[in-house]
Amino acid sequence: MTKKESDLAITVKLFASSREIIGKDKIRLKLTDQMTTVGDLRKAILELYPSLHSSKVHFAIAVNHKVATDTTALNHLDEVALLPPISGG
Amino acid sequence: MISITESPIDVFKVLMEVQDRSAGATTVFTGSIRDHNDKGTVSELYYEAYKEMAEEILVEIENEVIKRWHVKKFIAIHRTGNLKVSDISVAVAVSSEHRKEAFEACRYGIDSIKSRVPIWKKEVSELGTLWTDGVLVNHD
Repeated sequence: MTKKESDLAITVKLFASSREIIGKDKIRLKLTDQMTTVGDLRKAILELYPSLHSSKVHFAIAVNHKVATDTTALNHLDEVALLPPISGG
Repeated sequence: MISITESPIDVFKVLMEVQDRSAGATTVFTGSIRDHNDKGTVSELYYEAYKEMAEEILVEIENEVIKRWHVKKFIAIHRTGNLKVSDISVAVAVSSEHRKEAFEACRYGIDSIKSRVPIWKKEVSELGTLWTDGVLVNHD
């Protein structure tokens, strides 16, 4: 059975400044042969949302509630989130 | 016990709940909203959390504190939503046999919250409404 394209997409949760700059609380991106890692995802998001790039907001990426590195592999069932610099307390 | 909540933090309740019959020392740290930042007057703050991840990391911090200092009880509560000047945004409380562990563990708790827990604050000041400069979280 072949999977529908929508099955191979990943949802990315957005918070704080990244949510306001993009204007949504989550975005969905297709997973392709060119997008298999967190580094690929970061690049794709910055290309899709140049405003995030120009705002110079740096962000970490969490996968399944853990801070990931650019080499972390992505699966369409992962819970992914952009984390701008934190300021709790 | 850890919590991310929109409800006001009752410090007296925290103090009562952290008590333990085998503990001789108790520390309670609270963080509250200052009426200024380095650029001027602050009137209110808005806190936002990635709740599911924030709660998981608070549990990690709780486990680290219990393992390292053998504390009797550990409580960490962080508020979200709109807060006014003097409102308490965060409370960390520890009970342990002696004061040294209670002070160190409490300090570790609040420092870890500030460097690892995904929470963001936005300040309403004379300059407008701005997300506060923060720290980029690191991979372990």
